[in-house]
Amino acid sequence: MRRLRAWFSRLGALYGKQRRERELADEMDSHIQLHMGDNLRAGMSPAQARREAVMKLGGVEQTKENYRERRGLPILETTLQDCRYALRLLRKNPGFTLVAALTLALGIGGNTAVFSVMNSVLLRNLPLPHPEQLMFLRLPNEQPRGASNTGDGDTSFSEPVFEALRKEHAAFSDLIAYVPLAIGKTAVRIGEDPEEAEADMVSGNFFSGLGTAFARGRGFTLADEAAHAPLAVLSYSFWTGRFARNPAILGQTIYVKGLPFTVIGVTAEGFYGVEPGISTDLWIPLQNRPELNAWGNPASGSTLYGTPTWWCMRLIGRLAAEVTVPQALATLDPAFQSAALIGLGTPDPKSRKNILALAPAKGIQGLRDQYDQPIKILMAMVGLVLVIACANVAMLLVARNSARQREFSLRVALGAGPGRLLRQLLAESFLLVTTGAALGWMFAISASRALAAWSSLEVPFSLDSNVLLFTLVISFACAVVFGLAPLHSAVNVQAGSVVKTSNASAQRTKKSSWAGKMVVAVQMALCLILLVGAGLLVRSLRNYETLPLGLRTNGLLVFGTSPLATHSDDEKARFYQNLLDRLRVVPGVESATLLSNRLGSGWSDNNVFAIDGVVPTGNFADIGMRSNDVGPDYLHTLGIPILRGRDILDSDSRTAPKVVVVNETFVKRFLSKSDPLGHTAGGVKPEQRFTIVGVAADSKYTSVEEKPRPMLYFPFWQRSSVSDMQVELRTAGNPEALIPSVRAVLHDLDTNLPMQKPMTQRAQFDESFSQPRLFARLSMFFGLIAALLVATGLYGTLAYRVNRRTSEIGVRMALGAQRTAVLWMVLRESLLVSVAGVAVGVPLAIAGAQLMRSMLFGVIPGDSLSFVGALLGVTLVALIASAIPARRAMRVDPMVALRYE
Amino acid sequence: MGDKAADKRDVWQGTLALMVLKTLQAMGPLHGYGIARRIEQTSGDLLAVNYGTLYPALLKLEQEGYISSEWGFSDNNRKAKYYKLTRAGRKQLNKEEREWEQTTAILARFLAPGEERS
Repeated sequence: MRRLRAWFSRLGALYGKQRRERELADEMDSHIQLHMGDNLRAGMSPAQARREAVMKLGGVEQTKENYRERRGLPILETTLQDCRYALRLLRKNPGFTLVAALTLALGIGGNTAVFSVMNSVLLRNLPLPHPEQLMFLRLPNEQPRGASNTGDGDTSFSEPVFEALRKEHAAFSDLIAYVPLAIGKTAVRIGEDPEEAEADMVSGNFFSGLGTAFARGRGFTLADEAAHAPLAVLSYSFWTGRFARNPAILGQTIYVKGLPFTVIGVTAEGFYGVEPGISTDLWIPLQNRPELNAWGNPASGSTLYGTPTWWCMRLIGRLAAEVTVPQALATLDPAFQSAALIGLGTPDPKSRKNILALAPAKGIQGLRDQYDQPIKILMAMVGLVLVIACANVAMLLVARNSARQREFSLRVALGAGPGRLLRQLLAESFLLVTTGAALGWMFAISASRALAAWSSLEVPFSLDSNVLLFTLVISFACAVVFGLAPLHSAVNVQAGSVVKTSNASAQRTKKSSWAGKMVVAVQMALCLILLVGAGLLVRSLRNYETLPLGLRTNGLLVFGTSPLATHSDDEKARFYQNLLDRLRVVPGVESATLLSNRLGSGWSDNNVFAIDGVVPTGNFADIGMRSNDVGPDYLHTLGIPILRGRDILDSDSRTAPKVVVVNETFVKRFLSKSDPLGHTAGGVKPEQRFTIVGVAADSKYTSVEEKPRPMLYFPFWQRSSVSDMQVELRTAGNPEALIPSVRAVLHDLDTNLPMQKPMTQRAQFDESFSQPRLFARLSMFFGLIAALLVATGLYGTLAYRVNRRTSEIGVRMALGAQRTAVLWMVLRESLLVSVAGVAVGVPLAIAGAQLMRSMLFGVIPGDSLSFVGALLGVTLVALIASAIPARRAMRVDPMVALRYE
Repeated sequence: MGDKAADKRDVWQGTLALMVLKTLQAMGPLHGYGIARRIEQTSGDLLAVNYGTLYPALLKLEQEGYISSEWGFSDNNRKAKYYKLTRAGRKQLNKEEREWEQTTAILARFLAPGEERS
């Protein structure tokens, strides 16, 4: 209590300082007078009396200083003093301040932006209460054999499993199911025009179990789930983007695949659902209508909600209080094991075991594996940029402080201890870093937006408290480093040198200039590493862009459709036939075809088909086959060369003999010994066999980087169930120009029918390597920044040295040194630094490139072109940076230089 | 070094405050020089008060609210800052006196010729 009171009183003493100083002087004065009075009475002479009084007091100024220390808060006072002084200094040197602050802003901002991505993708919890309790359910061994699956093998469960596990309240307080209505977006209609939205159907406890807050209305109940109620909840961002936050949203009707749903709620801001990397727009309760089948799958007998073998439900659970993951798994496993077999009969003892696993709902699930290593490498790169930036600023500070030797020695002479000098320097660097960090934060806000846009993730990379903490920590580290770097030169100042000091005698010692050169050499090495990394990634990107796809992507438009009003496969087949007929006559369309998996989207059908009724044996890697259900004119429309036989034709209709086209790799692997035409592929039973009528050249299916695999093209209407199809249109002109007329055709067929994700086929393939593109661009950007920073650093060091040696150069020239010799003197210095940097950098770059192996495509880590390019880059940086100082040295006029003193 | 001050003892850390409070209780309002002189006299000139350390000590007591100060005039009409005890100061003095007595009593028992030993 008393201490607090004293502290406040001391804090108060920071004000009214002058009055207090006067009072103190008066008190000391009266003390001396009183003492002198006594002394005089004791018979001393006035001079003696005064002397004795002052001595007894222990010196007036010393006493005052002791008193002052007790009066205010000396640390606070001197800190304020230091800050004011530092501010004045920074204002006096706006050029220096600007360069230093911008350099720091670049370093800190870049790190913050990349960290914010890392945070969102790898670290951040869902914005829900107790996010650490939320667990995704996983199937490390994928679904049991015989189950109908969605192609998303390790995340989707069957309804019996969900029903069994949701009863295990000892493990999960809530088990929540969420099922996408389509791969990608779903057709919805609000008002007149059809559009697309990300839509999930969810269990009744979806919102209550997750603990989602609501901006408007309410979430679903278990009763809504049981009744498959026609209700919808919108996300805040969909409400904002589509309804302009219309407060009268509740009660409005939204058509999902043509069926009316009533909006009953809007989730709170910042909730984007639980789909990986996707911002869900709307949710409806679990449905059992064939039109709203899970994943947009055709509702055949084996894949409709309520079918026990249809593994289509993604699950997320909230652990019950105080339950650990192993405990929960122990509770869940018996129920899971028995429920997993429902509808599948007794399992083959040899088949893989069904395993249930839990994964914490952290970061962006599903993207973690994919992004984990690249993001860490990116983080390392941007960290190197920060180190280079910090080194630059530190060198700037050292250079400036060595010009302040006079000031420091004066301060030391006036009694400042090393501690006080250190505090002063720290204050300056803190001020600098604070400015840099503030600018960097602003830079990071826009940079992380750009990163989000580039990475085509829909979930925003918000800058949260984690990121702020990260920025503060690195800024603080920078500030300490900067504060300490120049201290060495500052504390070694001799008080006596103050008078002697002039420009010439303040020549830096050999040792300190050596340290400066070493820093630049290290910067060079780091720069080389970054340039090598950038080179490798850019070369990989180049490979992605130029790799032959095996088809002509130019002039191809692709879009998705899902017929809404059809129920049977026959109806669907007729719908698509009708659609094709209409599209073929649209002006500008040269040819049109259909396919069930869009090329370059990552989706594919994988199976093992029987050849001539015999199922090949061996590893899946050897015998696995890919297939796609396609429309007539497929190879012709896509521009895939036909090597033998023929294309799929209109005449291969639903009732015609079953045919299939295979690719070159298929023939090489399975039918190399005889003429492939006339053999069959498909099922074992004769009626399930498809006769091979053509061989197509290999072409890319899921992505640019895939290796050729055996491939089968089935006429879509000859398959047992007809999927939702994508449409490919070939045109001589700009593919996107077709969109309005195609949209009109679709509208004619069905007013609820949107064109799903229309884009050029080239753009679709480009999307398949958006991540390598992002990383190549970023690494190039970092490489350039590093080169720029190193160039300024080297330039600064050389210019400073030349400046310091002006008189020396003058003397040399007066004594007959040639200008070329002077030029060489400067260049040699920069060359030596570069060579040292390269010598250190090359081995490090080789090691670094190995770490990047998984990010490279068609390039080996030791790619000579990348290394040569990086070396050239560093050389160029060194030459450019030394050009101006070298010129200046060459042009030194001996007369002027000697008079300079 | 045969200075007479060398024989005198310095005031122990922490006891100066108690002495100041006690002096002010005994003497009433007093200026800094007066307090210092009084402490020296009371100790029978055995203690040397470093006058310089007295002022920060006075300031500390004032900040803690045990004493207050105001400007006044001395007997021979010199302007001087006078310190006096506050109510909190009186209470603190009582407390510290008791504690000090306890401490000295305990120490005395240790230092007295041990009865149990004989």
